[in-house]
Amino acid sequence: MRSTWAILRKELRIYFVSPLAYVFLAVFLFLAGVFFYLGITLTGEASLRVMLGNLSITLLFLLPMLTMRHFAEEQRSGTFELLTTAPVPLWAMILGKWLASLVLCAVMLAGTLVFTAVLAYYGDPDWGVVAASYLALLLCSAAFCAAGLFASSLTRDQVAAGLAGIIILLPFWLIGQAAALTDSETLALVLERAAFLTHLRSFTRGVIDTADLFYFVGFIFVFLFLTYRTLESRRWR
Amino acid sequence: MIEARGITKRYGPLTAVEDVSFKVGKGTILGFIGPNGAGKTTTMRVLTGYLPASSGDAIVAGFDVFQQPMEVKRRVGYLPEAPPLYPELTVGDYLSFVAEIREVPARQRLQRIGAVMERVGLTGWERRILGSLSKGYRQRVGLAQALVHDPPVLILDEPTSGLDPAQNVGIRELIGRIGGDRTVILSTHILAEVEATCSEVVVINRGRIAAAGSLDQVRTRATGGVRYRVELRGSDVARAVGALEQVRQVEPSEVPDGFTRLRVHAPADPRPAIAALAARSGWQLRSMEREVPGLEEAFLSIVGREDPAQAAAT
Repeated sequence: MRSTWAILRKELRIYFVSPLAYVFLAVFLFLAGVFFYLGITLTGEASLRVMLGNLSITLLFLLPMLTMRHFAEEQRSGTFELLTTAPVPLWAMILGKWLASLVLCAVMLAGTLVFTAVLAYYGDPDWGVVAASYLALLLCSAAFCAAGLFASSLTRDQVAAGLAGIIILLPFWLIGQAAALTDSETLALVLERAAFLTHLRSFTRGVIDTADLFYFVGFIFVFLFLTYRTLESRRWR
Repeated sequence: MIEARGITKRYGPLTAVEDVSFKVGKGTILGFIGPNGAGKTTTMRVLTGYLPASSGDAIVAGFDVFQQPMEVKRRVGYLPEAPPLYPELTVGDYLSFVAEIREVPARQRLQRIGAVMERVGLTGWERRILGSLSKGYRQRVGLAQALVHDPPVLILDEPTSGLDPAQNVGIRELIGRIGGDRTVILSTHILAEVEATCSEVVVINRGRIAAAGSLDQVRTRATGGVRYRVELRGSDVARAVGALEQVRQVEPSEVPDGFTRLRVHAPADPRPAIAALAARSGWQLRSMEREVPGLEEAFLSIVGREDPAQAAAT
């Protein structure tokens, strides 16, 4: 656990001493501002529905770019050898990196609270919905970071890792729509259940369903486990 | 302190090292030498627990590398061929990160880092960004990183590669100094480095151990030991010297000015007998000296001179 903490801090330090974290924050908050403005002016509702909905797809594209360097760069530059010859269990390494990305996501999401404050000042939003939506975004981020880490473990090339992350995630976004196109009821059900959007729906109504929580936790677990297996098997090749 | 027993490592159909066994005692500095691609790095990676071996086993600091890898990792300091640095971090941040993952207790961390920085000559460099350091300083940070937890075993993969001659001497002295009662394995293809720092050598070639032992043993075994070089003028000197009782073998060669140069192999010093023989036969005796073969020569006779045609092809 101590080494997880050390790795988490090291990753955060690297994020914040390089322009990386600031670029991500700036891009993310700019887009959030655009979505907020459009959401208010187009719908005329005092809600964050449009902004939070659009931010989830933004994160899908942004987060693989954030996590792409983790294992790709460590393997390319040889620092992976430093970590694996120190008494650091592989799972501690993965967990530390995943948590570091998640902390940065939390900072990004915290930045959007400005818009919530604006809304609270001028209107009367449903706080249950706002809280549940933020939880949904955080869960999405955690899931995207896990998939991004897995992509990063596959290659030494950062850009390839970033693209691979998006390619892995995108189907989970799109299969919900595919469900409408198939005749088979079972297949439609499976596609529907596997899609992100299905599990985000109740959050946007302010409802936290344990089935949805399980979906995200399971998703995260599977991808962190795949990362573990990939890195483990890499040593044998 | 370190014992490799029949380590074999295959990458698919390619065998990188085969049946590598050797022992290194406590406090010894072992030179691990061989041409590029001979399997030095692979062997070291197996010993550090970075790579699993295909077969064989290894005991490092009293623990089995494959059964108790964490215990081994706690006791080994390792410097890979390229120092594993994060270019974004400062020297101080980097070393405190390494100290933390190497389990140096929080209370001792600052003091350990200070001591190790002083040892490798980095005092005052805490705030420098790693990415801006020169190669020599990166190497020093690499060494500091390997030493920060005060490990009893130190594994250094080509610690002087790519350094200029002055830096080379600096790092070499440093290795001599940090050795102490540590067990050190040092890989290199620069033989002067081995002669300067190591007491024992293992020569590896094409993935197999070609020779092992103390520096003197390896030199002697590979080249037939001490020889004597004699320059004489007279008739039929090679045959007459060869007939001496002490002498095992004579290799004559002509010198342009009419003298004959003999390389004499003998178990005991034959020079008094040769001098007496020269006096008796009325030869002119110009010089006699004892020749200790260099490691370079031993190395070449062990691994073989590279075939120029093959070298050109690769």
